[in-house]
Amino acid sequence: MSPTTYLADSAQAVLTAILAAGQRVVAPVEQAGLLAFAHVEQAEQAQLIGQTRASAKELAFPRTQRLFGYRFGNPGVELLPGEEPPAPTVLFGVRPCDAAGLAILDGVFGAEPADAPYLARRARITVVGLSCDQPQAHCACTAVGLSPTATDGSDLLLTPLAEGVLVEVLTARGAALVDLLGEALRPGAADKAEVTARAEAAMAPRALPAGLADGLAAAFGEAAWADAAARCLGCGTCAFVCPTCHCFDVVDESNLRGGQRLRVWDACQFGLFTLHASGHNPRADQAARYRQRALHKFSYYPRAHGRPMCVGCGRCVNACPAGMDIFEVAATAAAGQG
Amino acid sequence: MRTETYEPHLMTVAQVRDETADVRTLRLTFTDPALADSFAYRAGQFAFYSAFGEGESVFCIASSPTETGYVECSFKLTGKVTSALRRLSEGDVMGFRGPYGNSFPIDEMVGHNLVFIGGGIGMAPVRSILVNCLDRRSEFGDITILNGARSAADLVYRDQTDAWTARSDVRCVKTVDPGGDSEGWDGEVGLIPHVLERLAPTPHNTKVVLCGPPIMIKFSLISLEKMGFSGEQVITTLENRMKCGVGKCGRCNIGGAYVCCDGPVFTAAQIAALPQEF
Repeated sequence: MSPTTYLADSAQAVLTAILAAGQRVVAPVEQAGLLAFAHVEQAEQAQLIGQTRASAKELAFPRTQRLFGYRFGNPGVELLPGEEPPAPTVLFGVRPCDAAGLAILDGVFGAEPADAPYLARRARITVVGLSCDQPQAHCACTAVGLSPTATDGSDLLLTPLAEGVLVEVLTARGAALVDLLGEALRPGAADKAEVTARAEAAMAPRALPAGLADGLAAAFGEAAWADAAARCLGCGTCAFVCPTCHCFDVVDESNLRGGQRLRVWDACQFGLFTLHASGHNPRADQAARYRQRALHKFSYYPRAHGRPMCVGCGRCVNACPAGMDIFEVAATAAAGQG
Repeated sequence: MRTETYEPHLMTVAQVRDETADVRTLRLTFTDPALADSFAYRAGQFAFYSAFGEGESVFCIASSPTETGYVECSFKLTGKVTSALRRLSEGDVMGFRGPYGNSFPIDEMVGHNLVFIGGGIGMAPVRSILVNCLDRRSEFGDITILNGARSAADLVYRDQTDAWTARSDVRCVKTVDPGGDSEGWDGEVGLIPHVLERLAPTPHNTKVVLCGPPIMIKFSLISLEKMGFSGEQVITTLENRMKCGVGKCGRCNIGGAYVCCDGPVFTAAQIAALPQEF
């Protein structure tokens, strides 16, 4: 069944109505010349053109999250609650790639045994997606089976058209938000195919080679990884800007009275990531670590879930200080095999 | 809010035993009596042990499910969490969350001859399944135990090894690496794979449980294969650094397998099918 659709004057007008309905909103804003997701109180604060530097995952999977606290007693230890998740929030202006990233994280953290701290935050987020009518030079969503107007992960998806904006209602949570918006939305339908085609035509052609998941698995022992990793600085930027990377560390922060246990972002490109207490490291060099990143995204995950663990946002390519392109490295390694 | 995914149970240190100069065993009891009654685990499973203020570390549960009312862990002093755990005395409180992972296939082991091989602190997971089997002794055939260490001073579970040696219904051998013997040493001298070949257990109707450092596993697998054991007959454990235990934190995978969820117990055949990255 096709989703219920509405029309509105503009994405800005929808945002104005969401704010007028008293919703807490996080949207892209300009900060120090870069776009970042931040709390907005006026629709004009939102910057609805372009791509944010970091992905939208932070609201559900923050860089640092308190899992629980503790107080040292005499005797004993008293456990204290974890973080109180932020108030229910509309995450507005999320690009289809980022929304699809949240859908992938939902699968990872929601798989049994489920991750309660993630789910507590995620349950309070309504995702209002915004289709891309102006893709970036590094965009590659079509290479991973998505499109500039894909609906994965969005509760509502706004697609700008010549005559206004198409609003697709994709989930019950999206419908509940629409109920609050009154006359800003009027029932109606429009075809987004032309916008999709124009945006796709504007993107640099990129495709993943056929059979990449198996090709990469077979290329496990290839020298291509060492060649590629010779350029990799191991800085982890790719993981931190990625909408689907979810590796984390768990650390204590404490003083003599008590402390807290925190979950913090981590990255598979760091040498300490897999270092055993004994000194043994199963991924002892950058080649092994780069291979892990490429294979997790394009081989291990697809073999288990039927799609890459990549949404084609291209941030890792754009942000890499060494100019590495994971699509190129993966394709080269897989092609070199055999 | 629900945070129980990562929130440990509070445990009381009930007993502290030094196995060697740097390996200690802690016996832990639940501070919540309801949990003490409901807690269940299987041999081979692991847990996260918290030293509040320092962090948590992963060790297998070294006690057997047949030893009820407590859990035990044995750990080697290596870093800040293990240092902090060593500062605990009887009566102190620490954290425990678990059990996680799969377990030794004890039901498939029933009716078989069993060979248990532990190297160094790798004897801890072996101890759990071994005691489990000894407590159900009549369900198994011949039982052989090989406990090895770098040196006599590094041999863990010494008293229990002596007790197993004294039993008439098991064959128990202890060994140390060449040069690791000291005055009065009454065990074997030799690397585990070599001693194993000298013991020459028959592959017929036999299952092997093999745990220890990666290099010992590697060469023991070669010896076992040479002796005619198939990959399905050899059961071992893999350890990788991990932070969550529930397949989220992304660091314990070997190829598409997560040690925390798909392991830590694997057959040699399963390991052979994984990318060689452990």
